Amino acid sequence: MIDLKLEQLTFEYDDHQLFEGLNFQLQPGTFGLLTGPSGCGKSTMLKLLAGLLPQYGGTITSGQATLNGLPLGKIVPFQRASKVAMLFQHPSRQFALATVREQVSFALANLQMEKAALEKRVSQTLEWLGISHLADRQVHTLSGGEQQRAALACVLAMDSGVILLDEPFANVDAPGRQQLLADLKRLQAERGKTILLADHDLNGYRGVADRWYQLSKQHRLSVSSVNDLPTTTPIAPVKRQQLQTGRLSASHLRVTVGSRVLIDDGQLVIPQGQLGLLSGDNGAGKSTLFATLSRQHNYDGQLLFDQQPARRFPLKKWALTIGWVFQNSTDQLIAIKAADELAASRAHSLRPEYWTEQRCKQAAQQLGIADCLDQVSYQLSGGQQKKLQILSMLVMAQPVMLLDEPFAGLDADSLRVVIRLLKQVAGELQVGMLIISHQRVGVVDWLDYEVRLANHHLTLLEGDDHND
Amino acid sequence: MITMTKTRGLNPTTLVLIIVSIGLCTSFIRSVALNVAVIIGSLMYLLFLRVPFKKTIIILLVALPLALGSWLSFYFFGTEDRWHVAWIYGSRVYAYLTLALTLTLTTSAKMILLSLHQHLKLPNTFVYGVLAALNMFHRLKSAFRQVRYSAMLRGQAYHLWQPRFYLRLIIIALNWSGDLAMAMTSQGFTEGADRTELVSEHLPWWQYLLVVVLLVAYLWLALDNCPW
Amino acid sequence: MQTIDSKRRWTLRDIIFLAIIAIFFGIIYQVWSYAYYALAATPLKPFANDLTLGVWIMAGPLAGVLLRKPGAGFMGEFLAATVEMLLFSSWGAANLITGVTEGTGAELGFATTGYRHWGALGLFFSTLWSTIITFAWDWFQSGYQDYRVSLLVILLIIRFLSIGFFAGILVDWIAKLVGQTGLMKNK
Repeated sequence: MIDLKLEQLTFEYDDHQLFEGLNFQLQPGTFGLLTGPSGCGKSTMLKLLAGLLPQYGGTITSGQATLNGLPLGKIVPFQRASKVAMLFQHPSRQFALATVREQVSFALANLQMEKAALEKRVSQTLEWLGISHLADRQVHTLSGGEQQRAALACVLAMDSGVILLDEPFANVDAPGRQQLLADLKRLQAERGKTILLADHDLNGYRGVADRWYQLSKQHRLSVSSVNDLPTTTPIAPVKRQQLQTGRLSASHLRVTVGSRVLIDDGQLVIPQGQLGLLSGDNGAGKSTLFATLSRQHNYDGQLLFDQQPARRFPLKKWALTIGWVFQNSTDQLIAIKAADELAASRAHSLRPEYWTEQRCKQAAQQLGIADCLDQVSYQLSGGQQKKLQILSMLVMAQPVMLLDEPFAGLDADSLRVVIRLLKQVAGELQVGMLIISHQRVGVVDWLDYEVRLANHHLTLLEGDDHND
Repeated sequence: MITMTKTRGLNPTTLVLIIVSIGLCTSFIRSVALNVAVIIGSLMYLLFLRVPFKKTIIILLVALPLALGSWLSFYFFGTEDRWHVAWIYGSRVYAYLTLALTLTLTTSAKMILLSLHQHLKLPNTFVYGVLAALNMFHRLKSAFRQVRYSAMLRGQAYHLWQPRFYLRLIIIALNWSGDLAMAMTSQGFTEGADRTELVSEHLPWWQYLLVVVLLVAYLWLALDNCPW
Repeated sequence: MQTIDSKRRWTLRDIIFLAIIAIFFGIIYQVWSYAYYALAATPLKPFANDLTLGVWIMAGPLAGVLLRKPGAGFMGEFLAATVEMLLFSSWGAANLITGVTEGTGAELGFATTGYRHWGALGLFFSTLWSTIITFAWDWFQSGYQDYRVSLLVILLIIRFLSIGFFAGILVDWIAKLVGQTGLMKNK
């Protein structure tokens, strides 16, 4: 029996306190779901339970995290791993070795398992999970879902009683997610494993999770009834508007990653002055499509801007034609101070006559970031960084803008301000915007059309096609 | 299976020892004949192990400007005996290159590191830390591209002399190294602890002898009566 | 349970961090090497060498000022050279050997201050030592002993300027920027 708990734990990072007097006890044999808004500390809590913090940052100022009565930090990793192990948000950043078999062997060798037994255990584990066919594949050629299953194989091989998962589906497609959830459920039922999974998305856990923990924005933990988990959320439809002509168009587009086909014979036009939603499952290739349209990923087929083949544009010119708002805000920051970020955009804006200093200031005020412009961008909160990032790109005002999850981590008020600003800029500057957003509530009412990426195909959805 | 990826030819540790010792001598001894001997010896070893022909030729061609540059600079700026000196340093470029190819074309980074761990006690933290980073190579390359592209999206370009450019790369290195190290720790990797050695390649005594013989032969030829 | 002095010890994360930096430098060299190659194929090769040397040896001092541990300067440079040989190699064995000398140069700088100054002072000594050691090394390895004295003087000056800027001033700027972001603090 494993007794894993946080007792009156106060934990802080260098400059700010995250948890104060946090209490938590893992119920053996349960499937727990941990939810909460971004920045609430889900990931930190799991890493504390896994014994990875404070080794990898921060300080426990009072209280403790214990495993069977022993402070977690005092147990050496190779002993801890056979009790508690973790799967992480970025599937690809969990592998030290090139193939699945090597990686699982690596984990077992860490536990000092004898060689013959080890090889047998590796094969058995892969077989149990039904991924023997992946054993000798290069990890970087696997899909996100396959990578997570490979990571799960390591945990399973080590026979860890507790499996912690930190947003494991962030880069995993729907079938991959189903598969991984089924694996976990089976591990709970057949092997008596205890599971605790953090996710910002509540869908699909009804009937799967038997404990539901919520972390608030103020880092307070509460327990809710799993009966309150949503069943299936009705998909809010985009009401299709009359579409205008577009300057960027793709036809017979074929996009692959390694041997996997993401898009085959894709057709796409991005209408000017309007907002579109690019929908599709996680891992279907939405972000890769953005990379492709930005010519940061190889493609076959035709990509035209104003009837000119994309390849005829120098890359520098292309970057000023197709704007791309990255999923991760800090990847977009090119300056240090927030104000400099905006100044840099204004200096090279394609529509300086529109983005006057006055208008920039006003937009910053609307977004609620005017007061933090003198700060270092990296020290802003996630939401502030996101808004700064979006405004910086809007000021650039490329004729086409691709926005990858621009609403992630924003509260409802911020979301409303952001989307209103997008709508306004798109209309006034005739910018064609295509948006990837897992969140539909509060978003779709503002949009003009929806393109769906599914089964390697891009489909422009009809206005009344959503209800099926 | 890990244990089956045998290195062909000499043990990687032997090759590293040869490369370092002969390479070091090559740096000090000024002899075209010995450089050519090193080049021929290395190429014969590569031929013997049947490394991909085309790849080898391409690598050798890429280095041609470097060798040519060396040759020309000594031909123009050398003090005395410029003809001879030009050939010494021109051929030296290829001596270094072919010497290292005996290692890089015949085995993998992983086998080299594991072999150095087994025979020269290179710590596991170093072995698996470097391996983990090398296995991220493809992703690091795209991250690098994205950093450059992020500047272009703002109508700018990063230059070699801009600290902001390096900052971006350092941030990626920080985040990714943390994620990887945590994942490996979660999989039981413990700094300084024993772990099961899955790869074990015998290093016969004659290979150590070979290193010594090659070194002594080189030095004897060089010091006794340094050939042209 | 033994206590661990992580300020001095080499952690897994340190190694991965330096190896990733090393790979990035490898990629940088690839992207910007065309300029070098164009110059290096002419009699002006020694100028190309000395003018760009500062960029080649940045990894060492950078590692020193970021990690602030004895050995970081050496390790950063040596890893960069090793990765360069394994992944890109047009230098071959020279990579490995020069990596040791360049790493020693970077390390000696910080050692000169008794590992107490990881800022501008440490960097200054590091550029000084690097210039001396790499020049002494090229005396033999790249055959500088066979160049005319007038050329040597010019090369030495160019080298010190290159190293002084890239491995000194620029690295100092980078370290200050990293400091401003506050990202290293929670490491």
